[in-house]
Amino acid sequence: MDLLLNEQQRMLQSTIQDLLRRDFSKEMLVAIDAGTVDVAQGWPALASTGLLGSLVPEEHGGVGGSFSDAGVLFEELGRGPVPGAHFSSGVFAALVLQECGSADQQSAHLPAIASGDAVFAVAVTEPEYGWERGDVQATAERTPDGYTLSGVKLHVPDALEATHFLVAARTGGESVGLFIVPSDAPGVACRTLPGLSTGLGEVLLDGVAIGEDALLGGASDGWDAFERAMLRATAVLSAYQVGGLESVFQMCLEYSRTRRQFQQPIGRFQRVQDHIIDIVNHLDAARWTTYEALWKLDTGRPAESGVHMAAALASEGYYLACNAAHDVHAGVGIVREYGLTLHTRMSRTLYHHLGSPRYHRRRLAGALGLQPGLS
Amino acid sequence: MDFELEWTPEQEAFRAEARAWIEANVPSIPDHPDPANLTREEYELQREFGRRLGAKGWLYPTMPAEYGGGGLSMELAMALEEELDRYNMPLPPYYDTGGKLGGIAILVWGTEEQKAHFLPMILRGEIRTWQLLTEPESGSDLASVRTTAIRDGDEYVVNGTKIFVGSSHGAEYSWMIVVTDPDAPRHENLGWLMMPMDLPGITVEQMDLLFVGGERGAASGIKNTVYFDNVRVPAFNLVGGEGNGWKVAGTHLEIEHGLLRSAVRDDPLTERVFDYARNAKRGGRPLLEDQDVRDRLVDFYIDAEVTRLLHFRNYAWRGQGKQLTYEGAQAYLYQKRGQLSKARAVLDVMGPQALVEAPDEWAVADGHVEVHQRGAIVDQHPGGTAEIQRVIIARRLGIGRDVREEPGRLR
Ligand SMILES: Cc1cc2nc3c(=O)[nH]c(=O)nc-3n(C[C@H](O)[C@H](O)[C@H](O)COP(=O)(O)OP(=O)(O)OC[C@H]3O[C@@H](n4cnc5c(N)ncnc54)[C@H](O)[C@@H]3O)c2cc1C
Ligand SMILES: Cc1cc2nc3c(=O)[nH]c(=O)nc-3n(C[C@H](O)[C@H](O)[C@H](O)COP(=O)(O)OP(=O)(O)OC[C@H]3O[C@@H](n4cnc5c(N)ncnc54)[C@H](O)[C@@H]3O)c2cc1C
Repeated sequence: MDLLLNEQQRMLQSTIQDLLRRDFSKEMLVAIDAGTVDVAQGWPALASTGLLGSLVPEEHGGVGGSFSDAGVLFEELGRGPVPGAHFSSGVFAALVLQECGSADQQSAHLPAIASGDAVFAVAVTEPEYGWERGDVQATAERTPDGYTLSGVKLHVPDALEATHFLVAARTGGESVGLFIVPSDAPGVACRTLPGLSTGLGEVLLDGVAIGEDALLGGASDGWDAFERAMLRATAVLSAYQVGGLESVFQMCLEYSRTRRQFQQPIGRFQRVQDHIIDIVNHLDAARWTTYEALWKLDTGRPAESGVHMAAALASEGYYLACNAAHDVHAGVGIVREYGLTLHTRMSRTLYHHLGSPRYHRRRLAGALGLQPGLS
Repeated sequence: MDFELEWTPEQEAFRAEARAWIEANVPSIPDHPDPANLTREEYELQREFGRRLGAKGWLYPTMPAEYGGGGLSMELAMALEEELDRYNMPLPPYYDTGGKLGGIAILVWGTEEQKAHFLPMILRGEIRTWQLLTEPESGSDLASVRTTAIRDGDEYVVNGTKIFVGSSHGAEYSWMIVVTDPDAPRHENLGWLMMPMDLPGITVEQMDLLFVGGERGAASGIKNTVYFDNVRVPAFNLVGGEGNGWKVAGTHLEIEHGLLRSAVRDDPLTERVFDYARNAKRGGRPLLEDQDVRDRLVDFYIDAEVTRLLHFRNYAWRGQGKQLTYEGAQAYLYQKRGQLSKARAVLDVMGPQALVEAPDEWAVADGHVEVHQRGAIVDQHPGGTAEIQRVIIARRLGIGRDVREEPGRLR
């Protein structure tokens, strides 16, 4: 038993902390949030740390690190929160390619993902939003030399930054295949959605013609494999949310000491204390379930229930902690340059990503054998 | 007890008159889910309509007729508001803290000359006013404000900074809490000033905020920092006398804490959310087949209904002259917390589409839903935070103390 980071993980942690100090200061994050700096501008700095290859095997130019290592990296990124396609490309797409792609497809794309030369975004969800097989309605029509893709992909993270999409589409009946689609293919149109979310986009697929080799693993139904990859990616996403929670907690703690009203620090008021205690409880619940889930993935233990539990707690916890942090800060918390609203937006944006808290609770019930008809 | 008003023939006649007049006079202004998008021209149309209402005493219908109000009963005011509501037009038809807050403080604490000078221009819609209380170092602890107004002959010289105040498109006047005697003890050092906003030395700077909530339709859209640099204002404009500012403030704070809602209407967001749910599909199936979704919609509905009823109770009791104590802060707290839980229910039901801002083809209910997602967060703070509402409720109930705190004077 050892619940501390190892030497190598402490080094990873300080690498990302340096990156945040140097390239993603609060001023920079606020400028990206305001749209005065393009999020893509941070990409070379992110790529230079090697974190995009954290979960890519060494043979494909990655680090071949553990899930716990990736958790350390993404927790630090979540503190910013650093926006961008690091998770979409370096974790989610990299895992889907490994789980669903053929050997050729892996060697064609994983090295570019690890180096940051290619940016992959995963385009699964649609206007009838959801992360179940039945939620995919985009279609892939067989043609003599490949497929034609049609449909609308909505709330796709990092769509505008992507050089490639991994698109889920129906190949016939209930079967769902996954396709590699270059973002500049004729018939593909992307834009970012305006509003409280951050970095979510619309991807229109208007009769996009792609070759046979675009189908991942050559499998007309790749959904089960996709779900296996998604489960692992989810644990790393939870780590990112834990980082966000940690940051929100620290902001509140600091403010409770420095802000004075009625001739005393506001942290002396029990109503303020209660909010911060709620936040630290959300943080630790999400943190320790996430750490254990990552460990289960690394050690080959059954991880399904652990990942779903951590995901539900991290998504809800991040959301609720931001609400509580707004209570603690009152007026100044809604001033954009103060930085709390970066987390508010991110917590809302990630609330449904890779499955809503409700989705994860249902899956957890299933993993626990709590389904009618099973004994 | 009767939860519905019985309208007399005379009241029905008034309603018919109001309906005809409104139809002939109401301007057509596009619906802006985010009030920050209200253009200058549209604002001017709202003001012009306000002046026409004001000329009839209908801008602030229950205020005394001798000062430019309508002198109308609560019932007639309700009828008027219901008729305006048919055009999605609130009363007043623009952001103004004059007739319902500052004006009442003047009515209670002003001299006869001050009432005769300030009230008619407020109640007739000739000026609109901003409320300038909050400062960088003084939010909940309002009595600790630092902006000074030091007497110099027939004038006060004002220096300081107010934040989170006002709206878009300026104001002719503001009313503010200032320190008139820096050496006096807490609560006895303050004054309450009517400030013409065109005086030299006043600078208004727009803040960059997540969102600015506010009264439906008459929301302010924007909040500002206002700097006062040696602004000289006539001593006549100090209402309630030197050292009495905290008592004057007690009047409008009492109203702001949950007594500001006028004739109480259903929250239009409820129908918008239900509409979405009735039409939406998931995986090709109706969204409403999902029992979890129905549960969340019912949670939403209950929050909306309790908020409506608590405000309705307060409105009715206030109209009947019953002394309210904790009830205003209670309704306000329920409203604030209800907004937050409603926002989460909506996000649960709709998914990320709830976060899409208008104009966009994916924005739900022309963007009203996304605006609510932001507004629910921001609505926790104006008029005293949720925690401060709890402080007030506790004092008024006498929790842990034998003597209950007295409410601020309303007349
Ligand atoms: C959208 C918006 C519109 C606004 N409009 C106006 C306006 O028109 N005019 C105006 O003057 N102001 C306005 N305000 C300012 C508003 O009144 C203040 O933000 C609010 O009173 C809180 O003050 P603060 O932000 O300084 O927070 P603080 O007072 O610093 O509060 C920080 C935290 O301490 C808590 N706290 C403080 N004292 C106590 C206590 N005694 N017991 C328990 N907890 C306590 C608070 O609840 C909060 O959690 C507006 C604010 C917003 C967000
Ligand atoms: C937007 C906004 C609205 C607010 N509305 C109200 C409100 O309606 N009522 C209210 O009391 N506070 C109001 N406050 C201030 C806030 O509620 C304070 O937390 C609370 O009132 C305690 O303030 P205090 O200055 O009395 O401080 P405390 O340190 O708690 O009290 C100091 C002393 O002053 C006495 N005192 C308290 N109230 C008064 C009074 N009205 N006149 C004279 N002496 C008094 C107390 O008994 C005590 O002896 C508001 C603040 C904001 C930002």
